[in-house]
Amino acid sequence: MSVPVAAEDDEALAARAAAGDEAAFEKLVDRYQARVYRLAFRLTGGDADAKDVLQEAFLSAYRALPTFRGESRFSSWLYRIATNAALMNRRARARRPADSLESLLPRFDADGRHCGEPADIGAASRAEEVLDRKRLAEKARAGLDRLPELYRDAFVLRDLQELPTHEVAEVLGIAPAAVRQRVHRARLMLRGYLTELAGGKA
Amino acid sequence: MNPRPVCRDGVEQLMDYLEGTLPDADRALIEEHVASCPRCVAFVESYRRTPEILRRATLAELPDDLAASLHRFLASRR
Repeated sequence: MSVPVAAEDDEALAARAAAGDEAAFEKLVDRYQARVYRLAFRLTGGDADAKDVLQEAFLSAYRALPTFRGESRFSSWLYRIATNAALMNRRARARRPADSLESLLPRFDADGRHCGEPADIGAASRAEEVLDRKRLAEKARAGLDRLPELYRDAFVLRDLQELPTHEVAEVLGIAPAAVRQRVHRARLMLRGYLTELAGGKA
Repeated sequence: MNPRPVCRDGVEQLMDYLEGTLPDADRALIEEHVASCPRCVAFVESYRRTPEILRRATLAELPDDLAASLHRFLASRR
């Protein structure tokens, strides 16, 4: 999404909103609601939960604005609030733990070489050809649900919301190297998951 | 690192390789290995495509009525 050069920057709007300017807060809501909704949908896996998280995130942000010091970007600060709201939403649902995707990590022989034939190893690349859109969308949500929590947030922010690694680090409050490590593990597991869905061997 | 990397070494370093944070020497060794390993070529392709596929499969647009109701919701709590 492109923002006109002349537009007031987020941090200036946040400062005005913190000082009680309702119109400035409304502008921030308009600017970020679609992105926060997409993030919430990907972290919770459902329309109703995404709506709750969206409302909760902006309400929390509004209440916390006086504590926003501008030490990080406004976007990182808001995404952190939204990520936490999604976490609370998931916990409140008290879901039974889904089978982890750990077992779908790549396999190697004793010498450290890939097991299997290239066609099987590359099966994940064909997931969109093998499954129709609706089924793949359902499976994708289920797959994200099965990711260990530690990796899910990093993967969703970095690879699905396409934030740069340094901003994900800011949102999660961890080092860029830790972001890369978590995203890498998530990619390996989800690649194995797609491989299985597409009929290959992880 | 092992001067003759095997598939597993490349997989371990793939994220750093793609993000450009791997030292040049390690980078060159991995490229050399992948160039002669059809299994790694297939693996790298599937690893790169995984985020793209999931991004498309989980894309959700903010419903119009929700944008309006969000403003009402927030206004009612201020």
